[in-house]
Amino acid sequence: MEWRPHAAARWQTAPLPGRRRGGTVALALLAWAALGGPAAAASLSARDVQVMGRALAFLQPPPASGELAVIYADGNAASKQDAEAIAAELGDGLHVGSAVLRPRLVASTAVAMEGFAVAIAATGANGPPLRAAIDAKRALCVTADLAAVEAGSCTMAIRSEPRVEIVVNHAAAVASGVEFVAAFRMMIREI
Amino acid sequence: MQNTRAVQAAALRLLLWLLCGAAAATTTPAGAQSVDYGALEQLFGEPVTTGVTGKPQRATDAPANIEIITQDDIRRSGATTIPDVLQFVAGVDVRREGLGSTDVGIRGYNQASNPHLMVLVNGRQVYMVDYGRIVWDALPVQLDEIRQIEVIKGPNSALYGFNAVGGVINIITYDPLHDNVNVATVRGGTQDYLDGSVVGTGHIGDSAGVRLSAGGFRADDFAPGPLTGDDRYARQSPYSGNFNGDMRWQITPSVEAFADASYGHNRLADQEPPGVFGTEQFVTSSIRAGVNADTRFGVVSLSAYRSDARVGIDNVNDGVPIDVGEYQSSYVVQGSDLVKLGADHTLRFGLEYRADADDSGDLAGGRISNSIYAASLMWDWQVTPAVTVTNAIRVDDMKLHYAGTLLPGTGLTTADYNRVSLVEPSTNSGIVWKATEADTFRLTIARGVQLPTLLQYGLQIPPGFYAPPAFVGNPDLHPSIVWNEELDYDRSLAAIRSTLRTAVFLQRTDDVIAWPFGAPFSFAPSGLPVFFSANVGYSTAAGAEIGIKGHNSAGFHWNASYSFVSTTDHTVLNQTPPPTSIVEYGNSTPRNVVIGGIGYARDKWELDVQARWQSSYLDFRMNPQRTYLLPIEIDNYLTATARVGYRVTDRVTLGLTAQQFNQSQLLETAGPPVERRIIGSVSVRM
Repeated sequence: MEWRPHAAARWQTAPLPGRRRGGTVALALLAWAALGGPAAAASLSARDVQVMGRALAFLQPPPASGELAVIYADGNAASKQDAEAIAAELGDGLHVGSAVLRPRLVASTAVAMEGFAVAIAATGANGPPLRAAIDAKRALCVTADLAAVEAGSCTMAIRSEPRVEIVVNHAAAVASGVEFVAAFRMMIREI
Repeated sequence: MQNTRAVQAAALRLLLWLLCGAAAATTTPAGAQSVDYGALEQLFGEPVTTGVTGKPQRATDAPANIEIITQDDIRRSGATTIPDVLQFVAGVDVRREGLGSTDVGIRGYNQASNPHLMVLVNGRQVYMVDYGRIVWDALPVQLDEIRQIEVIKGPNSALYGFNAVGGVINIITYDPLHDNVNVATVRGGTQDYLDGSVVGTGHIGDSAGVRLSAGGFRADDFAPGPLTGDDRYARQSPYSGNFNGDMRWQITPSVEAFADASYGHNRLADQEPPGVFGTEQFVTSSIRAGVNADTRFGVVSLSAYRSDARVGIDNVNDGVPIDVGEYQSSYVVQGSDLVKLGADHTLRFGLEYRADADDSGDLAGGRISNSIYAASLMWDWQVTPAVTVTNAIRVDDMKLHYAGTLLPGTGLTTADYNRVSLVEPSTNSGIVWKATEADTFRLTIARGVQLPTLLQYGLQIPPGFYAPPAFVGNPDLHPSIVWNEELDYDRSLAAIRSTLRTAVFLQRTDDVIAWPFGAPFSFAPSGLPVFFSANVGYSTAAGAEIGIKGHNSAGFHWNASYSFVSTTDHTVLNQTPPPTSIVEYGNSTPRNVVIGGIGYARDKWELDVQARWQSSYLDFRMNPQRTYLLPIEIDNYLTATARVGYRVTDRVTLGLTAQQFNQSQLLETAGPPVERRIIGSVSVRM
């Protein structure tokens, strides 16, 4: 789970006061988890997922009901655990307007065989192979990992706290044929 | 007249041509292109506005000092009018001159029939073209149908053109295509007040929506108090009735059409620019149509509207009733293209044609009108993730027209009016720096242009009508130029779930325009004693605001603010006390204003209290003999409003509001004292 603090730090525009204390708290939480605490949190929180559902409504055309791929890195236990946690957050499905996207775990090596229009990349799943597979699918890739979006291996990064931030890699969106409503594009950060 | 009609016909043809062009340029597939305020607000967790640059933005990202009042704020305020809500916004001045008459200003320069403020309802400018004033109770909008009221402080002429120099108030209603609002409200209370409104939304399939609203009130006005003689007799009890219909139609996934129409009949007792009191009747109507299209060239928007107002002004002079009539009209055609280029640049190109006319034999001796062509460009550049720079420029080209019979003996001719032509640029620039997740700095610089109003140009009041001298407009007037520099700092205080907002600003108004009623006295070449409108000098203002607003999960919300503004006039008027002209902004602006409020909601109950204290200022009214202006010192005052709401069922809410519960009568202007009001309400939402 080391990537999560790293990804969060990338969202910052400047250091926040009190981060050292935050780091201490994070270490304590990690120790607690190692000693048998609750299951690890998903890289996308419930609130992130809610924001994602609302953001997808600005796709043009909006997505139709179908499957939502939650992609994990094949052979990476942490990645699969994160994907399972994300799928649990999604429950019966992600509501986007009147459409419902039902989550389905997909191994990164099996992406080409699945049918979906939207995918969430779990921790460790982002990378050039996934990018190529997503482009071939003409699908939208969503992640909590801003670095992955900056690198162009995923299209949209979402963060809901402390302030909703949505970042879209313009070139990646073009490559995978993903379009958003103009008003939405003007309110997010494109890179 | 024929020229004006020809221009209007040409503008209509241009609109039709552009509409066809826009439809042809549309790409498919595409998506909804109008701003779905509700969906975007839900997504980003804060109000969204297009009111600052024309581009949809989160309120915290906008390059201007903007306050957004939500429907929840409106409902819980217990307000019966929009100014009731605005009086508790930092930096906003509200003058209540009667139960149905209010003038609103931003950061000073607020007087009777204030022409310094731009007000729009869903983008339609709703000011009266005679004095450039806002008749708030005649606006065809019900409180229940308002999604949000955007208060933009400082000049914003580069987007809106002439007159948006003090600030802009943008009223956004619910969208009939995306929002479903069905509510009926009845209110009643002291002053024999009775008010009702109905708002209903209907959908035709998934692609079209209609919202209809109607509402009105009747009441006994406040007691005339210090008003004497003619002013007292001229005031009649107010009533108001307004209807509005609003339709949106998603023609294709990428093209949306809209149309709206309104009608209103209102009688309101008010204070007029000469400092006299009377009653005015307004029969207003408007019609508008437009289209938005998401094209390969950006979001193309085209619209055209027409607004009309038949105004009857009733005064009494020496016991004799004086009835004055006006017919005001505006035709506006607007086109814009909003396009995002690459990842970092957003541009907005705009074209506008506007024609305003005031046809009044009584006030202008005929018809005075103008035609304005304008072009504008806005460029928004995301320089870094933390820094955004916005620049906007607009150039207006105005020509004045007059047809009628000028007052003899003034030395003015029709040709003097018909050769008036001016070109003026307006600019707005802003830098927004999000220094940290919690800290935002905003630096803005603006050049706003205040066009003389039609009657400041063309008034023709003969001697003995209001007073012994004549009051005459002046075609040689220059527009006022308003320079504004402002630095804002906002900080999110997450620990107490609040936001701190601060602002300091400097403003300078060159070529201050004096009404004929406040201008220097002179004799025309013929020997006629006359007050001509004039440019009388300049005025400066410096001010600061600090405020905090927040809420917590226990159901509390709170707000507190302090505003300071110091205005200094450098004009040829009022050189020695007492002042004899209403152009006395330095003393007629309250320097200090403190606003505080707290609210609590739990289960079915809501309790809210708002209070405003402001320091003393100077107001004016004519003396009973109509021979000179009487300065009236308005003492500092505190006014407080409280509301209790109880949700009987999910659909029915009862409310009880006590406006100005702390005092039974309060002198807020030189007019009638404002009275305590107790108002009960029942709202049914479906």
